[in-house]
Amino acid sequence: MADGSHALLLDRGNLKRRNRVNRVVEIGSSIGAVIAVAVLVIVVGSVVLKGAGALSWHFLTTPSGLFGDTSGGMANALVGTLVIVAIAAAIAIPVGILVAIYTTEFASSRFAHPIGFVLDVLNGVPTIITGIFVYGLLVAGNKPSGFAGSVALAIVMLPIVARTAQEVLTLVPATLKEAAHALGIARWRTILRITVPTAAGGLITGSLLAVARAAGETAPLLLCNFIFAQGVLTDPGEGLASIPLFIFQSSESPSPEAHTQAWAAALVLIAFVLVLNVVARAFYARSRKRMGA
Amino acid sequence: MEAGALSNPVLRARRNLTDRIGEPLLRGLSGLAAALAVAALVGIAYEVIDLARPAISEFGIGFLTTNDWNPVSKDFGAAPFLYGTVVTSLIALVIAAPLSIAISIYLTELAPLRIRRPVATLIDMLAAIPTVILGLWGILVLGPFMRDTIQPALNDVLGFLPIFSGDPSAFSYLTAALILAIMATPIITSVTREVFETVPGDLKEASYALGATRWEMVRQVVLPYSRPGIVGATILGLGRAIGEAIAVAQVIGAAYTIHLSLFHTGGTLAAQIASQFQNSAGLQKASLAYLGLILLVFAVIVNVVARIIVQRGHIKDGPDVDVDAALTEAQAL
Amino acid sequence: MSKRLLSALIAALALAVGVAACGSSSDSSSSGSGGGSNSPLVGAGSTLVAPLMSKWQSDFASKSEITVTYGAIGSGGGIEQITSRTVDFGASDAPLTEEQFEEADEQGEVEQIPWALSGTVPAYNVSGAPKGLKLNGEVLAGIFLGDITSWDDPAIAKLNPGASLPSTKITPVYRSDGSGDTYAFTNYLSTVSPEFKSKVGTSTQVKFPTGIGAEKNDGVAAAIGQTDGAIGYVGLAYALSNELSMPLVENSAGEFPEPGVKSVEAAADAVTKIGPNNEISLAELPSSAKGAYPISTYTYVIVPLESEKADEMKKFITYAVGPDGQAYGPDLDFAPLPKQVVAAAKQAVAKIGG
Repeated sequence: MADGSHALLLDRGNLKRRNRVNRVVEIGSSIGAVIAVAVLVIVVGSVVLKGAGALSWHFLTTPSGLFGDTSGGMANALVGTLVIVAIAAAIAIPVGILVAIYTTEFASSRFAHPIGFVLDVLNGVPTIITGIFVYGLLVAGNKPSGFAGSVALAIVMLPIVARTAQEVLTLVPATLKEAAHALGIARWRTILRITVPTAAGGLITGSLLAVARAAGETAPLLLCNFIFAQGVLTDPGEGLASIPLFIFQSSESPSPEAHTQAWAAALVLIAFVLVLNVVARAFYARSRKRMGA
Repeated sequence: MEAGALSNPVLRARRNLTDRIGEPLLRGLSGLAAALAVAALVGIAYEVIDLARPAISEFGIGFLTTNDWNPVSKDFGAAPFLYGTVVTSLIALVIAAPLSIAISIYLTELAPLRIRRPVATLIDMLAAIPTVILGLWGILVLGPFMRDTIQPALNDVLGFLPIFSGDPSAFSYLTAALILAIMATPIITSVTREVFETVPGDLKEASYALGATRWEMVRQVVLPYSRPGIVGATILGLGRAIGEAIAVAQVIGAAYTIHLSLFHTGGTLAAQIASQFQNSAGLQKASLAYLGLILLVFAVIVNVVARIIVQRGHIKDGPDVDVDAALTEAQAL
Repeated sequence: MSKRLLSALIAALALAVGVAACGSSSDSSSSGSGGGSNSPLVGAGSTLVAPLMSKWQSDFASKSEITVTYGAIGSGGGIEQITSRTVDFGASDAPLTEEQFEEADEQGEVEQIPWALSGTVPAYNVSGAPKGLKLNGEVLAGIFLGDITSWDDPAIAKLNPGASLPSTKITPVYRSDGSGDTYAFTNYLSTVSPEFKSKVGTSTQVKFPTGIGAEKNDGVAAAIGQTDGAIGYVGLAYALSNELSMPLVENSAGEFPEPGVKSVEAAADAVTKIGPNNEISLAELPSSAKGAYPISTYTYVIVPLESEKADEMKKFITYAVGPDGQAYGPDLDFAPLPKQVVAAAKQAVAKIGG
């Protein structure tokens, strides 16, 4: 320890300087955290402050006005998003969980690894490209529709659901599965009645996160579901209004009233997304605790 | 294997028809689901290449260096948008990476235990904000602020540099870069934090025991140990930044050629597709699909490289860093 | 082994069922829409005609039980969507070029019918400049070519003697998406300025040498409003409803008419010849045209002759060009269609549905 090579750590009388440098770094890091939180507060704060005023029962229940008419509301966008996201979830959640079951229970590692890789790549595909794909698949030669939007969103949701499900399913204690096997319970029963329910918290987490993500995605809808009527429609075979597109189009308008409507719709969307995220986190924490991870 | 269990008459009764078809049914359906996932990825690649084919055969590789986008003369090139994507993403990372490291240091070393979770959660919430709302905020709040305050200030101080010359504009490369920085920070922070938390406590304790200050410990132990993870995290943030279409389209304006000034309007690969895809036909649409192909290749490579670096970049005795767990925590998947 | 085979068979069966279900549902939706008036007429295109379209939508629905859904994505988008038949009709201020007709006709012949008449107007936002600034074609071309860069340029001062002009930098604002307004504006500029014609040209989407681009009429109006020194071009209805400052543009008779229904009407009356495919250009007006607005433009509907929605389209277009539809025009700054154009439109409509 008295070896001169640890010169830095011997008391050379530069302790004050070292402490000062340390202090600067500590303050810098704290400032960094403050900046990040501040940005969040500023953005969400702007949405709340500017949107809360326009948020009214009328706004939520009236369809949007026709061009230039800002006396309407976001009812058609609200209903449209609910329909589109519901269909997307109905596609992505079962498929995602099934993929996870396949890779954790049935596939040999020769297949499981590549499938995991495919999911990771799918995750990194920019959503505008997914939009191009579904446009070519369902819209070209047909027409823009809520269903096409749902399919695009389902592809975006799939890796999220599948990857979280994989993670959670692998965490289910092997002892549970072995016990079931020892009792002679068929594999599929074990999976459906024991493994999946044990992992339920994490599965719900993944699903909620995926839904939150899908509700806010604009790019796929811009390419697949961009023509819609003013009235409140629920038929996914037609073009449906949607909240992200409503915000997008209102944000590009010159009129201040349209901007206020954009903020109000943003408030509704943010509230929905943040609530889902908080609930998802709660489930995630609970499921990890349950499996002793 | 099951002979012992099956000697029990109660359990033997269960081996009925449902059980026998149950397994193949589940296996088949889940296998189908996996096949669908693969088919989706293959389909995406195929469709983009197919749509881009007319432009690929017309322009070839030269498309990547052509600095023009002229719908009248049908000269299309990717250079302005490659430039825009690279510039906005790089600036975003230059801001986001150090910021994220600072935040991660704070969260893992400095913050009182009680507030670590809440602050980490708040920062992760930033990742959950839909990008169209960030774009809305960018158009109505950040853009004017850039135009009225930041850009003139930069112009005054550093205006001799070409990137800070020119007239202030709310719609600009710089505004877009800032929005991207806001999006990238939570991702980089989340993964970096995970990586920092895998640093063995005894290494840190040893450093303190030798008399290091906190910063010295971080500099000598945590950072070197985490370097691959930080690099990987940053690249993941890059992946997010280059793929963002909507928020960028809202705040970057439009451009047909490369502009050196960061205050100028511009375009990125993703934003250009978002603005023009529905409106264009023929060669222009194919050129947009070509842009999409470039973007897809770019994004996939970045994403894969990042994950490999993070997964492999741990010291032999350390645990694997679970990238997906980190990303799930950030709700940034 | 046999379990694996069985599961593979089940997977294949499920896949086959799924594909068949998808196939039959798309079949039924396309044949079902032909018969019933339940599925709406879907159209897309011009933002210029959008305000008028929205009035047509609600009025027509109450009169005929047929719903019309419209997406204002720009004329370029309208042309593209009708070419690929993802919509039932396209709306464009820019008439189709020969090449575009060829592509659109690939899936069956289409008809182009003028159904509304308005104008594209420059709009500016310059603090310190007078209202009703006088400009002419050459100056506008110079601005959008980047030759004239500040508001106190001598060329502008010459047209506005005595006016105090600020030295603010000029920022041209243009449409970044495929736009009929761009077509009308560039058509006009190419007519009055050979330099503009050779350097930029006429189209729904051109490469402007300078300035900032924004999407759709809304985007351009917003960009103009937010930038001091900006000048852009928008549909007449947008300028008037957003109360943007409009310069007075010199016409071929040397006058500076107020942009509005009257001057657009005067322009339309001055051009009686209807071109092939019902194309009518109002960019080159004779000097005898008094009080005519120089950047007026017709806007067209593009519809396939043969389609499942032919009957409904016929009804809709007849309504639009008829007295009921045109009656909404003036309040929204659209001029009524001249008689000969209505006649030509009706002739064209008769061809729909064979």
